[in-house]
Amino acid sequence: MDLLEPIIKIAVVLGALLTASAIVVLFDRKFSAYIQNRYGPNRVGPGGWMQSIADVVKLVMKEDIVPKAANRFVHDLAPMISITVALTTFAVIPFGDTIPLFGKEYNLIIADVNVGILYILAMTGMGVYGLTLAGWSSNNKYSLFGGLRSSAQLISYELSMGLSLIGVIMIAGTLQIDDIVRSQTGYWFGWIPQWNVISQPIGFITFFVASFAETNRLPFDLPEAEPELVGGYHTEYSGMKFGLFFLSEYANMIVSSALITALFLGGWHLPFAETWGLDPLVLALLKIGAFMFKMFIIISFYVVIRWTLPRFRYDQLMNLGWKVMLPVSIANVLATGVVMLWLTR
Amino acid sequence: MLTYTDFLLAMPLFSLTVTVLLIIATEAARVGRARFSQFLAITGLLVTSLLAGLNLRESGVAFQGMIATDAASSYLTILLSLAGIVTALVARPYFEHRDAHRGEFYILLLFAIIGMVLMASANDLITLFLGIELMSFCLYVLAGFERTKDKQNESALKYFLLGAFASAFLLYGIALIYGSVGSTNLDAIARAYAGISNQPLFLLGTAMLIVGLGFKVAAVPFHMWAPDVYEGAPTVVTGFMATAGKSAAFAALAIVMIRTFDIGGSTTADVLALLAAASMVLGNVVAIAQTNLKRMLAYSSVAHAGYLLAGVAAGTAEGFAGVFLYLTAYTVTTLGAFAVIGWHERTNDEGTSLDDYVGLSQHQPVIAAVMALYMFSLTGIPPFAGFIGKYYVFMAAVRADLTWLAIVGVLTSAVSAFYYLRVIVMMYFRERDGEHIPLPRIPVMIALGITAALVIVVGVLPSTVLQLFMPAM
Amino acid sequence: MDLYTISFYMFAVLLLGSAIVVVFSRNIVRAAFALMITLLSIAAFYVLMMADFVGIVQLLLYVGGILVLILFGVMLTNRQISVDIREGAIQTIPAVIVTSTIGGILAGAIWSTAWPMREAARSVAATAPVIGEMFLTTYLLPFEVASVLLLVALVGAALIARRERKS
Repeated sequence: MDLLEPIIKIAVVLGALLTASAIVVLFDRKFSAYIQNRYGPNRVGPGGWMQSIADVVKLVMKEDIVPKAANRFVHDLAPMISITVALTTFAVIPFGDTIPLFGKEYNLIIADVNVGILYILAMTGMGVYGLTLAGWSSNNKYSLFGGLRSSAQLISYELSMGLSLIGVIMIAGTLQIDDIVRSQTGYWFGWIPQWNVISQPIGFITFFVASFAETNRLPFDLPEAEPELVGGYHTEYSGMKFGLFFLSEYANMIVSSALITALFLGGWHLPFAETWGLDPLVLALLKIGAFMFKMFIIISFYVVIRWTLPRFRYDQLMNLGWKVMLPVSIANVLATGVVMLWLTR
Repeated sequence: MLTYTDFLLAMPLFSLTVTVLLIIATEAARVGRARFSQFLAITGLLVTSLLAGLNLRESGVAFQGMIATDAASSYLTILLSLAGIVTALVARPYFEHRDAHRGEFYILLLFAIIGMVLMASANDLITLFLGIELMSFCLYVLAGFERTKDKQNESALKYFLLGAFASAFLLYGIALIYGSVGSTNLDAIARAYAGISNQPLFLLGTAMLIVGLGFKVAAVPFHMWAPDVYEGAPTVVTGFMATAGKSAAFAALAIVMIRTFDIGGSTTADVLALLAAASMVLGNVVAIAQTNLKRMLAYSSVAHAGYLLAGVAAGTAEGFAGVFLYLTAYTVTTLGAFAVIGWHERTNDEGTSLDDYVGLSQHQPVIAAVMALYMFSLTGIPPFAGFIGKYYVFMAAVRADLTWLAIVGVLTSAVSAFYYLRVIVMMYFRERDGEHIPLPRIPVMIALGITAALVIVVGVLPSTVLQLFMPAM
Repeated sequence: MDLYTISFYMFAVLLLGSAIVVVFSRNIVRAAFALMITLLSIAAFYVLMMADFVGIVQLLLYVGGILVLILFGVMLTNRQISVDIREGAIQTIPAVIVTSTIGGILAGAIWSTAWPMREAARSVAATAPVIGEMFLTTYLLPFEVASVLLLVALVGAALIARRERKS
């Protein structure tokens, strides 16, 4: 068995993901500073661009404080679960078309699982553990509230998240994410790219909203609502353990933007690029670039929304999840089925 | 491919499902009150029994062999619908009296009946299991319907925990049988039976199946839950659980053991006979010591499970017919008895003790007479339904060389006369000093009328009833 | 021994070991964690048998759903994690007898059965489309009944957990 290929892929993707998380943290801060008409980090390095590295160094050096009444084992375990889940989800997302290197075609995906979508949903479900256990093991009422809120929120929005994907699965006829991306590379009438965002607008919106909830970003950041819960589930965390939570939050954001890109925005598909007659290697690199650009757009959107919308109240959050998102995504499944039946008649 | 016949054969299931969805929709939209749900439920059950009646002379498998409709399953559907109608009639006065009348009761009631009908018409172990679970889920919740009462909570929790345990056995048994046959289809198992009936794996699967179903029918030694659950649950629910639940479980047991496995004369039959004898003895002896009527009927239901198991252990077509006839008799009688208890019960859950029935005949002679009728029938005194049921079941046991079992049955029946007739003695031969209880409301009267009439009809015309589900006999 | 066999035995040891911890642990939280490992190992077994769909669903439902509920229950009902959840010795001896009898019978039956052997599918074929098709053809009725079952669970849960209506 050729183990070298996956190991190299894992190393590259892991490195890129961690670096990207650091960059996104900084981008978030810079962008929000711009929105609020202030400078943001500007002390470390040119224009403050080394701030993330300084932060990491600071977190690593800090003392790791564990509350006396905490459950030590679980307290240590929780951040590990969080970061593991965040990082492993990326394994099934294709970040580019096949790339010709050294006379061989390589798939730009770590594990082309044929139930990729289910794998992602399962992993998201596992993510609940990190937050819940962190909240519980700290032995602090604010943490517990944060943990409980997060699990309730994740479980509620996982449903509409899964259901909003059904439409995509029905159109593509597969659970394999690579195949779903490939199914979006055609054109309607010869000029509209067959991206799922066009054929599944409602699914796209519900998935997008649910992904906000799943990543605990504003306006769904109740698990860590500072005014009421101090810091939520990670109140009692310090040092690198806190750093891991922080990192996994941003890694989650990157993963879900990659997922949205792959499932709804045509993944690495660059419209009409195949007609330009480029060298295959250049084309493949361009496609990776296209994938990253789309991700960047989504991440920017995350940041803009964070500084635009206020936080939901808890009952509003639950009402939105169960009484709006869920019916809408079920209706979307029904509508997709009817339209598909009508089109294939 | 699905054909028209598939839907025709499954028509009772569909009418029940449509009804229950309709009730859910009206409840959710708050169109009607709980009374409207009751009306819908009774209408739906009437339609269902009508459709099942049309299917009485049809037979065939539907949905790729998942269910099989024949005279017996259609007949049982009618019986279950009847139990549902009686329960729905009694439920409204009972719960309104306690300020707990809610539409959900009818939703769960109908869902439970769907599960029971599935059990009675199952032609695949998967369908059977799903039917059992569907029924059990509903009964778990119904047992604790008035959730502010501790006793009902206890009853529901006990039932749920032990029921889940039994379901695990059942599922494991199904898995083992699947492992040795390679199919869960009952027809396929019946074809393979001769070749594998002595395989250890298959026998183990059968044993686990018996444990699981034995729990559902409350046969000794899987009866421990019955007294507490029966006593704690709302009386209407107890009545439904004791009759319809037992009927469906016995139908499933009879279908699997007699029709599929053909156990006549085998070790499995001996095991079932032992369970039957144990149930008869224990149920009847312990029932003597009970002073609470609900608890007494719980032990009596254990004893009746024993009589019914005797029919299953016979393993013949006669035993099959006997089980179904007994189920009819037991269902109509016990339903009526529980309707009386539900009427007599006070809102603070008192009035179910035997002493509370002292001198009832002086205040409410009609109700006392009806109750006496039920008690005679449960004892097995001719010409009432209970006698006919016992006659057919013991007959089948004797013909299948289980004479000892029939003797045990007759002897324990004599023992049972003591505690059944004690109720009559209390009602008729003692002076009343308790409070006066007003006549039951019209729906309860109707329910009592139906069941009492059926107790007599089944007792007098058993062959007509037999013709319904056993056209060949 | 190839990789397949090694991973089989690895997960078998994990499964049995964690299951033993579930049963014998005095610490209820630890038992819940061990249960997580048990369920994960079962998912791994499904994957080893090339039933990828079932494996992922096991992960999705049991690890991602049911166990979270169990943990919720543990966390909300009990702050003391070292509560002794075992019964005294009076229960132990009958339990040992019963379980060893059942276990012995089971092992004997499994041992003596001539299992129809079949070459394991070593290629990863997508099982999801086949399962989906079966659900809508052969197993249509059980599939629909299962959805009815879920509806019942929903109605029942709502009934038990609802706020008391003011009359």
